[in-house]
Amino acid sequence: MEAFADFWATYSTLIFTVGIHALLALSLWLTLSCGLLSLANAAFMGIGAYTAALLTLHLHWPFPMVLAAGALAPAAVALVIGAPTLRLSGVYLAMATLAFGEVTRILVLNLEITGGPEGLNGIPLLTTWWHILLILAAAGYALARLRRSRMGRAFEAIREDEVAARMMGIDVEGHKLAAFTLGAVLAGLAGALNAHSTFFISPREYGFENAVDILTMTILGGISSLIGPVLGATILTLLPELLRFLHAYRLAVNGLILIGVVLFLPTGLWDSRRLRQLAGAWRTRREGKP
Amino acid sequence: MNRATKHLLFAAASLLAVSAVAGDLKIGIAEALTGGAAQYGVPIRNGFQLAADEINAKGGINGNKVVLVVEDEQGKKEEAINVFKKLIFQDKVLMIFGPTLSNSMFAAGPVANAAKVVAFGTSNTANGISEMGPYIFRNSVMESDVLPVTVRTAVKHYKIKKVAVIYGNDDAFTKSGYDVFKKVLEDQKIPVTTTETYVKGDVDFKAQLTKIKATNPDAIICSGLAEEAATLMVQARGLGLKAPFIGGNGFNSPKLFEVSKTAGEGTFVGSPWANTNPTPANQHFVAAYKQKYGAEPNQFAAQAYDAMTIAAAALKSIKVSGNVTTDREALHGALPKVSISGATGPFKFRQSVGKDGKPAGYDADQTPFIYVIRDGKFVLFTGK
Repeated sequence: MEAFADFWATYSTLIFTVGIHALLALSLWLTLSCGLLSLANAAFMGIGAYTAALLTLHLHWPFPMVLAAGALAPAAVALVIGAPTLRLSGVYLAMATLAFGEVTRILVLNLEITGGPEGLNGIPLLTTWWHILLILAAAGYALARLRRSRMGRAFEAIREDEVAARMMGIDVEGHKLAAFTLGAVLAGLAGALNAHSTFFISPREYGFENAVDILTMTILGGISSLIGPVLGATILTLLPELLRFLHAYRLAVNGLILIGVVLFLPTGLWDSRRLRQLAGAWRTRREGKP
Repeated sequence: MNRATKHLLFAAASLLAVSAVAGDLKIGIAEALTGGAAQYGVPIRNGFQLAADEINAKGGINGNKVVLVVEDEQGKKEEAINVFKKLIFQDKVLMIFGPTLSNSMFAAGPVANAAKVVAFGTSNTANGISEMGPYIFRNSVMESDVLPVTVRTAVKHYKIKKVAVIYGNDDAFTKSGYDVFKKVLEDQKIPVTTTETYVKGDVDFKAQLTKIKATNPDAIICSGLAEEAATLMVQARGLGLKAPFIGGNGFNSPKLFEVSKTAGEGTFVGSPWANTNPTPANQHFVAAYKQKYGAEPNQFAAQAYDAMTIAAAALKSIKVSGNVTTDREALHGALPKVSISGATGPFKFRQSVGKDGKPAGYDADQTPFIYVIRDGKFVLFTGK
């Protein structure tokens, strides 16, 4: 029991970070499932984090309401900017969302209320393990249901072929906006949870680098199922910590492992189709022989 | 039993006795050793290592050896928290030095404070660090202690009547430096002709400098890092702007001269440490650092070296029991009483007041050195 207490005291923040990163990866998975390559999710996370932190610090709202506001504020922003930008696709959308991320970062840098480049400190520790677990489980369940719903099928149709989907009578713009906004909700929640587990937030945590980090986690894990992004987030968060014994070499080894994964598993770590094939091959080999 | 065996047994027994009495004094070092902040973190780590090696070479503290547990916090807030927790709960260190950046301290400091372990920053200059709680210490001199002296000295020397201000507004360090300058100028009743801004990575400051030139200031106050400041100086001289610069801690880097060459002549800068300070403690530090690392030490290494000396003085004054909780508490009680004369000059702590009005952590109480740039070098300003 004492061993567990020691373990928890040492690694609780790391485990929180795994959960929060998983939520972020799922938020991007949602936008990707509709064929949208968005780099705005780091900015949405920032909007969620700042909204939540400011409500806690200045207005002392109860935590569940803070979380709700942290999810809704980026969603509102996503609705406003989504309408014009989602007409773009592919790299052009990536560039537009990237620009939005930079605008958000510079806005936060220059506002008085956000503390400018010095950020906000002294945010109380309100996030507990069950908040993260509950939200992650709820998000996972909702997304799993969504995939098999009319909306989820529509997302998939749009991703595969936008013109064909439109011919089928799918409201392409509406569905894209829905995917973008729901992604913002999840990213905002992740931001709010992160702000209340690390005492401090600053604008540089929500820049381009972090947008790419989120993308890496999602792609590395694989986007063919919900397990992929969660797996990707877990591995990318834990790997630097597990390699700590390598000291100065750990980031190099970390990079080598990532290159290895991308080279040998280009569809991500968790590819349901490949896993099914592997399982099938194993079964025929076992059953095929007399 | 022959003589050799006897000797061997005696040696083994005495060895056992020593190792039973002498425990290792584990001290955590959490600094940014990779990533952008490594340019500060690595000299800091070197400073600690140098001081610890010297202490151990002299037989340790009351016979106990100092063991450094060095961890890389990458200048990221989550990493800083993870490293702090590892050092506190797993390695069970007596105290922690670091982290490198103020941002990381804002994230990791509360963890140490809640666990009642001293977190001792040697490079955190932001306001509000020591307000976080009674277990937060630092020996890094805040800009609000250095800049008033720098400005007052420069104003007296150049008989300055009015100044222009330029600063980087997207960086925590340069922005907080600007806030301090602004307050200092208000306090010393020096009118500001214009305030201009730039962002990190800018290379063309001619628009801002032309505006500044039009207001004809007696000096230009610049809160920026060495890279941008150097370019600013060169372009100012190119535009025929002859007013001298007054800078903050960001100027304290040899990088300033790589670009500016002699454009920075007459610039006033304040620093907690002077390379050429002739005190024996500093001369010894500079020589030992050069010998061990084959490089010139900087202010960050000097502050780390002094911080270890401060901790050693506190550890010497307490009785280490081996129970980590009571030892941490004893160390926390002994630290504020320490006053030393180290590489950065005479040092003592000053208790700060927290946000709730209660006494909180400890800041450095030190007099800064004022430099003026002459012939492309920092020269200690002596009033002439």
